[in-house]
Amino acid sequence: MMQAVGLRIDGLSKRFAHGVKGEVYAARDVSLDVQPGEFLTLLGPSGCGKTTTLRMIAGFERPDAGRIFFGGRDVTDLAANDRGIGFVFQNYALFPHLSIFENIAYGLRVRGQDGDSIIRAVSEVMALVGLSGYEQQFPAQLSGGEQQRVALARAIVIRPRVLLFDEPLSNLDAKLRVQMRAEIRALQRRLAITTVYVTHDQEEAMAVSDRIALMNRGTIVQVGTAQDLYHRPASAFVAQFVGRVNMVAGHLEQSASVSALGRHFVLHEIPPGVASGDPVRLVLRPEGFALSRGPIANGAVAAKVLSRTFLGEKIEYELDCLGERLQSVRYNAGAGALFEEGETIALRCTDETVIALKEENP
Amino acid sequence: MTTVDARAVTGVAARVRRDPALAAAVATLWLLLALFVVYPLAMLLARIFWDHGELSVAGLASVLTDRHQIRAFANSLLLALFVGVFGTLLGFLFAFTAARCRLPRAIVSTIDASVLLPLVSPPFTTAIGLIFSFGPRGLITYGLLGIKGFTVYGMGSTMLAETLTYFPIAYLTLRPMLAAIDPNIEGMALSLGASRRRVFRTVTLPLCIPGLANAFLLLFAASLADFATPLILGGNQFPVLPTQAYLQITGLFDFRGGAVLSFVLLVPALAVFLLQRQWVGRRFYVTITGKGAGQTPFDSVAPGVRWLLLAACIAVASLIVYLYALLLYASLVVALGANHAFTLQHYRVIFTEGLKPIHDTLIIAALATPLGGLYGVLLGYLVARKLFPGRRSMEAVSMINYALPGTIVGIAYLIAFNDPPFVLTGTALLIVACYVFRYGPTGIRTTIALLQQIDRSLEEASLGLGARSGTTFRRVTLPLILPAFFAGLGVVFIRSMTAISATIFLVSIGWTLITVKILENITELALGPAAAFSVLVVVIVFVVIAGIGRALRLLRAQGAPPVTSMLGGWSRP
Repeated sequence: MMQAVGLRIDGLSKRFAHGVKGEVYAARDVSLDVQPGEFLTLLGPSGCGKTTTLRMIAGFERPDAGRIFFGGRDVTDLAANDRGIGFVFQNYALFPHLSIFENIAYGLRVRGQDGDSIIRAVSEVMALVGLSGYEQQFPAQLSGGEQQRVALARAIVIRPRVLLFDEPLSNLDAKLRVQMRAEIRALQRRLAITTVYVTHDQEEAMAVSDRIALMNRGTIVQVGTAQDLYHRPASAFVAQFVGRVNMVAGHLEQSASVSALGRHFVLHEIPPGVASGDPVRLVLRPEGFALSRGPIANGAVAAKVLSRTFLGEKIEYELDCLGERLQSVRYNAGAGALFEEGETIALRCTDETVIALKEENP
Repeated sequence: MTTVDARAVTGVAARVRRDPALAAAVATLWLLLALFVVYPLAMLLARIFWDHGELSVAGLASVLTDRHQIRAFANSLLLALFVGVFGTLLGFLFAFTAARCRLPRAIVSTIDASVLLPLVSPPFTTAIGLIFSFGPRGLITYGLLGIKGFTVYGMGSTMLAETLTYFPIAYLTLRPMLAAIDPNIEGMALSLGASRRRVFRTVTLPLCIPGLANAFLLLFAASLADFATPLILGGNQFPVLPTQAYLQITGLFDFRGGAVLSFVLLVPALAVFLLQRQWVGRRFYVTITGKGAGQTPFDSVAPGVRWLLLAACIAVASLIVYLYALLLYASLVVALGANHAFTLQHYRVIFTEGLKPIHDTLIIAALATPLGGLYGVLLGYLVARKLFPGRRSMEAVSMINYALPGTIVGIAYLIAFNDPPFVLTGTALLIVACYVFRYGPTGIRTTIALLQQIDRSLEEASLGLGARSGTTFRRVTLPLILPAFFAGLGVVFIRSMTAISATIFLVSIGWTLITVKILENITELALGPAAAFSVLVVVIVFVVIAGIGRALRLLRAQGAPPVTSMLGGWSRP
């Protein structure tokens, strides 16, 4: 096994000619430091520059500015075939004219390995991804999930220094997606390959990654663990993209508190650059509300149930609370615990569940 | 519907009662196919194998033992082989350059335009250009190099002219194929460590092999059937089957000998056609997953190689443009190679003495084009969307005249329609019918291909909303297959203006064609008028095709599946 190397990108920029807007930045001054063996995900909405960044790391696109380092070595000017990467495409890009065995062996043959060691390496990796017995099949005969495994086996058999994934699960159905992401994560841990993974699915990103770099409009807006992004979003965009939120406007008062939803929230952290009297936005996650029947007392406020969506394991309610529309979610606590539409219930929230952000457009 | 009802409608009478329009259309098409496809071919075979009331292979045997004819047969195969190989290579060079070199759009369009010139002109225009350049008084051999007695006639020049004329077919088949290869597959090979050259050798090329084989077979068939180029350039040194058959009939009035010779041609032509359908057709790699091919391709060609490829393409394209420019120049001077004074004399000649063939050709094209377009769309629609007994055989029969070399079709028509009960020889109707059933099939294929891309549920949705089937056809299906109709119109028109191999047997004093007149001019060494006629044909075809293209853009329904090119469904000259 090749020693895991770190990956550093420094100020990468890429411009594209755009028919209407002229030159647009697909990626702008993107910098990242990926530790050896780390699993880092580039997350963001479509068109945010995550795939362009990944393709620059792979060597499929040349950056207009910036450098790329694999383990301290500058690879910016190396072509894709000299970088020692493994790449898994969204549509797998299997060679349709080669058998599964030959697909996986391709990179080894290119490296001039002898026949015996190729057979050994390919068999080993095929067993690893659970494809033994498929050697002589052709890509068109395989299901989507199996093709995905071939793509994965083909990328790891060459023992790449960096493993790159471009939305590898988006062509699979929902159940298979969940299964495959667990397998990818387990395999990556076991092989300890430095990995960069691109997805637009925040749940997938949280499930597989050590760290997530959230991108928007060509730049990285926040890097951190899933918990960092979820609990300490740097901006309203991060808060809204990772998980679901209710945004409530307020003003920072004396003693670091904000009044909203009929109570004073005492902030455990005051957002940087916000002084007393400044407008702030409160971020309240739907799962942060405690809902109950009974008297509106002990710090509770009245909320009216506008609609209910029954999802089995959980129930989503849309509430009206002092003129604010709130999304709320609750685990199913039994048939008797459902609230009816039109019913007025008691809503409580604690200081721990609230995050304050600087108002971006005051 | 009850079981009893279901059993009742299986009867033919019940079917007719249920959908009388369909029954009438199917019956009419079968009648026409029987008359203009099956009957002539049967008469041809009868002429070959039926001798004084008994079955005989004597005619065939006499040809197969004649050394001169065997040589013509061998020449035909050799020529077709070379044209197939070189044309495919050239077509691949152009297709690869256009699809992979990231050239500016303007350069690609310029190359496209020059490459497509041979497809819209009479099949022997490159041959005339070669004579102007390398003939006894050729600009290059005589004028520039001062070589006396250089002979342009023979296998080499025939091969060059046919390769230049037909390689655009290979280009048109290979380019969409290269463009359809997911660039990620090549990117993947690169990321696994393969060099660009290795990616080309181990991935790009193997994926193109079915396309290359297909292009080779198309060119092989085109060369095998080509009659005009060898007639002009082959000379006595290089006889091939189609010219031998032609000389047999026009020179010796030996219909049977001509029929036998054309029948010999049928064997390789049929073999090619079957190979193409059965073998190549199944070997195209389907795209495995739909999504994700939208990424910009990486630089799959090294900068040095890119310039080399581009230079090669420009050189070939320049040669073509040069040949056509020479044609234009020759039409405007007194005598190319001897007297280069400017004159409009040749155009005066073609618009006075030559007015009849122009007039006749335009009338025939004006009749054949709409009929051929309609025939293609109607038959294609019925075969692709309607269930009626024998629809597979109807499709197969409709393809026969398209697949056969023109010489065979021409001789078969000549034999079949010379005697009662159907005496049509010398009429415009026969020429029109020949074009409709020979070139209409392009429209059939385009229609079927287009309908396969349009989900049947669209029509079902219309029926479900309460529209009757007539309304559904008019409001939903027709707008979507309109591109196929126009593509069919375009092909039939181009061929009506430029084809010669079949119709040369069908012209008469009453009705003649520009292409035949050009050929006469060349044999009489009246090269000036021949050049002027050729220029006229190219101009007319360009104008009309541009008009049809414009109409297509204006009328095409939003979101209708695209037809790759009007020339994409190319058929043989």
